[in-house]
Amino acid sequence: MTTFSRFKNRFIAKLLVRLPFLAKRSVAAYHPPESREIPWTPVAKKLNESIVALVTTAGVHHRDQKAFDMKDPNGDPSFRVIDVTKPFADLMITHDYYDHADADRDMNIVFPVDRLREFEQEGLIGKLADAHYGFMGHIMGPHLHTLINKTAPEVAHLLKTAGVDIVLLTPG
Amino acid sequence: MGLIQRAIEHIGIPTIGISIVREYTVKVKPPRTIYLRWPFGHPLGEPFKISQQKAVLAEAFKALYAIDKPGEIIDIPFKWRRQRYDNYSIEELKNF
Repeated sequence: MTTFSRFKNRFIAKLLVRLPFLAKRSVAAYHPPESREIPWTPVAKKLNESIVALVTTAGVHHRDQKAFDMKDPNGDPSFRVIDVTKPFADLMITHDYYDHADADRDMNIVFPVDRLREFEQEGLIGKLADAHYGFMGHIMGPHLHTLINKTAPEVAHLLKTAGVDIVLLTPG
Repeated sequence: MGLIQRAIEHIGIPTIGISIVREYTVKVKPPRTIYLRWPFGHPLGEPFKISQQKAVLAEAFKALYAIDKPGEIIDIPFKWRRQRYDNYSIEELKNF
């Protein structure tokens, strides 16, 4: 994908925030796979005893990690492990398909680590998990297969192994 | 996002997702969702609006415990900037 295409994607993303009626067309153009069966795990633990992890598709990653691939028009189905003991300044967003100017100023609007830490200090949740996970949204074509069959189950396994009780998912 | 949520729920961890595109959520069918009619890039609200962000987080956890039907979407009636968030109480979460 050319630099012009990336510029175009970012420009469209900005327009969608200011002119929400255009977003309807963007939504209509994207065809996620339709599901039938819905997985279900009952909530077993009290909130104030639960380890909580975040998974975001807002394109969040550490500055020293490889950025998500913006040149592939089908997106990037890989994920990044996010260590929230490092300061927010160590994080950045790579995602051309939504306007993240506001999230760049305060990452909590897509990745609410500060708010969850406050909930932890107030005794509302048990504990904030050590590792959290960043994906980018806008996964299409052959990468959907990779996401569904490889990277999403990998992250699920890592969360399960870490003893996480609740996962909160946030989009971009 | 819903596809990843489904994989996590499938392995045995309860999940709650925040959606700002209801049409996707209806198609993908993640197990539990709250929906906000808010702009892209702002699922938790506006930068540095701490009470707004906390209110959304509290609604997400409430929905996690309230939803008993797989695939349910709870529409949160928050009116973006026209809503007052400073008087929103998160104390209720202590009951979960």
